[in-house]
Amino acid sequence: MSGKSVALRVGRYRPEHAAEPYFDEYDVPASNDMVVLDALNYVKDHVDGSLAYRWSCRMGVCGSCGMMVNGVPRLTCSTFLREFRSEPIVVEPLRYFPVIRDLVVDMTDFLEKLRMVKPWIIRGEDKPVEEGEYLQTPDEVDDYKQFSMCINCMLCFSACPVYGQDPEFLGPAVIALAHRYNLDSRDQGRAERQRVLELNNGIWDCTFVGECTVVCPKDVDPAAAIQRSKVSTATRTLRSVVWPFGGRE
Amino acid sequence: MKTEAPRRYPVYVPKVPRTWWLRSAPFLRFAAREFTAVFAAAFSVILLLFLSALSEGRDAYAGFLRWLRLPGIAAFSAIILAAVLYHALTWFRLTAHIQVIRLGGKVVPRGIVVAALIVVWMVVSTIVAYLHVWF
Repeated sequence: MSGKSVALRVGRYRPEHAAEPYFDEYDVPASNDMVVLDALNYVKDHVDGSLAYRWSCRMGVCGSCGMMVNGVPRLTCSTFLREFRSEPIVVEPLRYFPVIRDLVVDMTDFLEKLRMVKPWIIRGEDKPVEEGEYLQTPDEVDDYKQFSMCINCMLCFSACPVYGQDPEFLGPAVIALAHRYNLDSRDQGRAERQRVLELNNGIWDCTFVGECTVVCPKDVDPAAAIQRSKVSTATRTLRSVVWPFGGRE
Repeated sequence: MKTEAPRRYPVYVPKVPRTWWLRSAPFLRFAAREFTAVFAAAFSVILLLFLSALSEGRDAYAGFLRWLRLPGIAAFSAIILAAVLYHALTWFRLTAHIQVIRLGGKVVPRGIVVAALIVVWMVVSTIVAYLHVWF
């Protein structure tokens, strides 16, 4: 960081002004405890009010402020300016998503896919409320807990070259969340989710690049979820073929 | 799976360059891991040629061994060995991510799983080498 200011190079897309995206550069007064989102907020408040980006919680929980920072998908609220030795720091919209404006991407594709895998507990028949909760042991919680930490920030999608090459790929976070509910002892919806996971562009499209896991701010490890989903799908299919009575449990 | 509905607002859809795999070191390592599979396939072809020569009798087999010792083929074999080692070791590392092994209710750390895989691999290789030398 040079002195008390830092240079930002920010991706802009304003379709009413220019058909193609371009960059604007800003000098922002910087301190040691500032994150990239603070710098963007400074630009918005003091330099250029037209800059558009998403943010909300500022504490790595809401998953709104994901952007490409120097080419890597990051939550800008958790990315300190002091991490970067060279300037300008380049901030761009999340890679592979259609850009609506400046740093704001269109999340529709992600949200539709998320809905397809039904990321909620599905019961064949709900028991009456009077009978109480569906209890779980700590071990049963541990089975899926890691995969339940996903905040839908979509950084993993931007890190995934498979999604980049084929936007119809279901994608890391979506498969991780499907796997999370499949692992939940209270859930009975595996068959419904499997239909989506096993489609073309489902789990078998993943070539295990592994970058989704590297960029995940919540240590969800989507790459592992996808590979384990492949293993369990293959095992079940094999068992249904070679086991008597279709290997039903 | 197509999920896109027609939009009522303009968007910019970025293009992915063909050279995306040159963009970062992890992508390059991934591309190298996948590309080394070509050498694994090449080794399978050599193995098939070996079996074919073996089935055709003593002369064909001796001819095949002479072919293997040609400098170009020997150099290619060395490249194959290096590539297959890279392929195998990178996949061992990834296998630890896929396979969760529990012992006594606790998850075995990934490093130990990878080390165990390498040890098993070296033991099997030693047995194969032993059989090759002594029989």
